[in-house]
Amino acid sequence: MNNEKDKKLDDFFRTGLEDPVHHPVYNENDWSALEDLLDKHTKRRGLIYWLPVLGSAAALLLLFLGWWMFRANPVQTSSKLQAINHYPQGNSGGFVRQPADHKQTALLSQAVHHQQANTGTSGGSIRQPVAHKQTPSGTAGVYAGNVHAIKAGSTGKSSFTSSAAVSPRGTTGERLGDKQNIVSGEPAVLKRDYVALSAVSTTPVFETGLISSSSVSAYQINIPAAGSPKSLSGNGKEKIKIKSQAAFRPQFAVSILAAPDLNGVGSFQQGKVGTNVGLLFSAGVSKKFTISTGALYSVKPYLANFADYHTPYNFHVSPVNITADCRMLDIPLNLGYQLYNKQQNKLSIGTGLSSYIMLHEQYTYNYNDVYAYGPSGYTVPHSSKYFFGVLNLNATYDRQLNSKVGISIQPYLKLPLSNIGYGQVKLQSTGVAVGLKWNLNKP
Amino acid sequence: MGEEDLHQLIRGCIKQDRKCQKMLYKAFYGFSMSICLRYAGNRDDAAEVMNQGFFKVFTHIESYDMGRPFKAWLGKIMMNVSIDFYRANLKMAYTEDLDKAEHISDGDIADKNLHYNDLLAMVQKLPQAYRTVFNLFAIDGYSHDEIASMLNINAGTSKSNLHKARQKLKQMIFKAESSANNANYNSNSGYTPIVAITGSDMRGVFFNKGIRE
Repeated sequence: MNNEKDKKLDDFFRTGLEDPVHHPVYNENDWSALEDLLDKHTKRRGLIYWLPVLGSAAALLLLFLGWWMFRANPVQTSSKLQAINHYPQGNSGGFVRQPADHKQTALLSQAVHHQQANTGTSGGSIRQPVAHKQTPSGTAGVYAGNVHAIKAGSTGKSSFTSSAAVSPRGTTGERLGDKQNIVSGEPAVLKRDYVALSAVSTTPVFETGLISSSSVSAYQINIPAAGSPKSLSGNGKEKIKIKSQAAFRPQFAVSILAAPDLNGVGSFQQGKVGTNVGLLFSAGVSKKFTISTGALYSVKPYLANFADYHTPYNFHVSPVNITADCRMLDIPLNLGYQLYNKQQNKLSIGTGLSSYIMLHEQYTYNYNDVYAYGPSGYTVPHSSKYFFGVLNLNATYDRQLNSKVGISIQPYLKLPLSNIGYGQVKLQSTGVAVGLKWNLNKP
Repeated sequence: MGEEDLHQLIRGCIKQDRKCQKMLYKAFYGFSMSICLRYAGNRDDAAEVMNQGFFKVFTHIESYDMGRPFKAWLGKIMMNVSIDFYRANLKMAYTEDLDKAEHISDGDIADKNLHYNDLLAMVQKLPQAYRTVFNLFAIDGYSHDEIASMLNINAGTSKSNLHKARQKLKQMIFKAESSANNANYNSNSGYTPIVAITGSDMRGVFFNKGIRE
């Protein structure tokens, strides 16, 4: 009985309150309030999405500044890697370039410790016969990955570290790569920190089938994904209609990019960190393909073995290796293919060619012997151009932050197709480019 | 509004087109407001809750399944934001001693000459906890178990609140009836009887008039 009455009461209220005739009429003020809410949301969302972008930009800036400061005085603090290639000839302590009839390979990797402290009071020279590496080719004796670090303190003490290749000392038939520093009477020179690590091949320059080398960054930008239609479930008709509405239109975007990368010749074993900053313009030519081009200012320091460095100059004493500092414009022309695109995330791979316009090239020659007679460096006076000399390979992850702005992260590899620079080296680079992208037109 | 028009509007809303949003808002204003009004204590709260609901609609419109009725989806959202609002204001909610409401004469309420605004005013006068349970059970058709989990209360509490809500409503109907009998002789207008119940109800009356006009 009670239940029935309750039900009646419920029904009475339900029918009375659900009667659409009495639905409240529209009030413009309520819409204004909602509009404010929506606007606020858009703004707030914008701000929130900008925070990581600003954060990344700040981080990149810090990274760049850090690198810059680190790079400011590399010579005094850094150890030098040196390779010894030649027999000393004569007893003068000078070296003469040796005909490349000895093959020696891969001495680089072994490093052995050999430490010795010399407490001689004269501040005199340290003479250290060191290691030898026997050549696999069996050529007559070989010598020496001879490495030493000589530290001469003001007290006249010098400590001495040498890393050497494995072969025992004094083995017959081998020559000692006897690196000798004629120091006596010149303590000042000894004060230089000098650490030489490992020996390197004498192989004539072109013999080693060098792995590709060459430099710099590949950047590529993909079409903004913002406009991809969100599919709505519903009948098939709807879906088709929506798709056709979102038919492809070319999309253009501009990106600002920054990329730290690692540059090396032949390999990245002795890679040096460089920096790239630039602008890219990209155009979506179809739903899947994007063409991008632009210009990046690249700072590419690298270390090349003398064997990899080509010069018409006839060195009296060959440097062990060359430290290069190149500034160039990298003009890539890349094609990207989109593998995945869902909501705001996009994944694509790309390839293309880069042209380098050398703006500044400076080479510093590092000799094994501190007294070696030879040029200390060379600065190329004119700029030169290398068209499509570098192959770009990259993969890109894009995230659309809003319809206008997106960020991208792009690991890349740049492989040399031709020799680059005054030294005609095969410079290769690998790095990660971080970019901020603006869509120029609505998708 | 035809289904095709509605879908067109929804597609516009997906693109965050402000005009389409406004048209959709206008089209479903009455429907949404009527839900929020019976869950909220007054018009201002109802409008705020409804806007929260529409905000959710516009920011999550892409998750709407076009194969399903839009009104049901919208109504569910409005109900959910109303419940959220109830939860947020739970501390302020109060329950009233119902001693006075225990002995209500059970006349045949279906005969009472009460309209939408009268009924709404009564529901709105219920304490929030009673009102929410009454709405969910009596009007929206949820079971006590469902209500219990929605409001995070016991099923027993839900039953008890429903009982108290009904008692209060009966009391209000009875009052309305008696005051109508007393005061109706000098007024022929359909909505004045409520005004006559008690002076403290003035706010609700103005509010109701506001809706009607």
